[in-house]
Amino acid sequence: MTERGRIRRPGPGAVIWGSIVLFAVLFALLTYRLSVGADPSLSGSASAAAQPVQVRKVIKRRVVTTIVPTPGANTVTSGPATSASYASGAITTSAS
Amino acid sequence: MSEHDLTFDAMGSHVRLLIGEPGSGVAPAEEAAERAREFVLEFDAALSRFRPDSQLCALNEDPRERVPASDLLREAVRAGLWAAERSDGLVDPTLVREIEHAGYVASRAGMSGLPLDEALREAPARRPARPRPERRWREVEVDEEAGEIVRPPGLRFDSGGTGKGLAADLVAGALRGYSRFIVDCGGDIRIGGADALVSPYEVFVEHPLSGERAHVLRLGSGGVATSGLNVRIWKSEDGRYAHHLLDPASGEPAWTGLIGATALGDTAVEAETLSKAALLSGPQRGRELLADRGGLLVHDSGRVELVGPLAVAPRIRIPSLEGTG
Repeated sequence: MTERGRIRRPGPGAVIWGSIVLFAVLFALLTYRLSVGADPSLSGSASAAAQPVQVRKVIKRRVVTTIVPTPGANTVTSGPATSASYASGAITTSAS
Repeated sequence: MSEHDLTFDAMGSHVRLLIGEPGSGVAPAEEAAERAREFVLEFDAALSRFRPDSQLCALNEDPRERVPASDLLREAVRAGLWAAERSDGLVDPTLVREIEHAGYVASRAGMSGLPLDEALREAPARRPARPRPERRWREVEVDEEAGEIVRPPGLRFDSGGTGKGLAADLVAGALRGYSRFIVDCGGDIRIGGADALVSPYEVFVEHPLSGERAHVLRLGSGGVATSGLNVRIWKSEDGRYAHHLLDPASGEPAWTGLIGATALGDTAVEAETLSKAALLSGPQRGRELLADRGGLLVHDSGRVELVGPLAVAPRIRIPSLEGTG
């Protein structure tokens, strides 16, 4: 049997506990950094705070007009009568 | 979108019918137009003040206080009384003696009147017409149960102030099953039908001095009517210019500062009533009368004034994209 063959693999309990401890340590470290305002995810943008922020707001304004005729009432628009708009046989209101 | 178009003469004027597509189970437009023509001719024969054999003349000459009357005659009297109430007595249907005294004793259909501009130069000082204090039209009643008209014998009734409008409204009532229609009884017009709301009719307003089109209305429903001095101007026996729109208080032709008024209304009768009342009231009160429904006033000078909804210029706001940054 060689020396290499004597190396013992860690048991499953050691692996599990090792993982938990490692997670706890890293979690504690990150929590500490967040609590002091040193968020590692923002660490690269420290200089960006000095840059001007451009906020673009787009307002789309849409005017919708609905004409609901009142029963029995006129719906009317009007305009000046031009020669172009007059056709022979047009309906005309006049004194009679 | 086809329409049947029928024109004929009645009530001393031209009558025109435009009738659109019939609904299901409704007679073809041609048939409806012919029935309407027959009705208008019967209407004219029954209610003309100038036909001695008319029902209206029979009523006016009947010595009884209670006079049996047909449905049509009762309808016409009701319309005349309604107009009197609506106009607070300015459109007075009991001025028969006064209009005859002014010289209007026979139909003037087909007769060319004297020039309005000459009449205006010689007309007396302008002033608004006023109701007759006695308000004699309130002595006329319609007894629907008995089918009679009740009034003091000798009090004559003239349906002329509302006749054409009423004819237009009654014809319109028979055309409800059609997609669109317009009934034009000598310029007193009634419009209806669902399609007319979508594609309104164009109605031109004739200028009383020039005879040209002064304005155009696009109407989808209701009534429109015009009253004016231009078509019936004559000289009375004393040589003064006269016309058919009387000041009820004086019994004389009214010279108010207006020569024409066009009014909109729910019905042709209402429009006709408002147009007459506005013209008789003069510019200031006329404006108030037309303010609600809208209309036009034509001043002695020929100036056309839009009133009420017609005076409000349409405002078109173009949607815009606004951005900041």
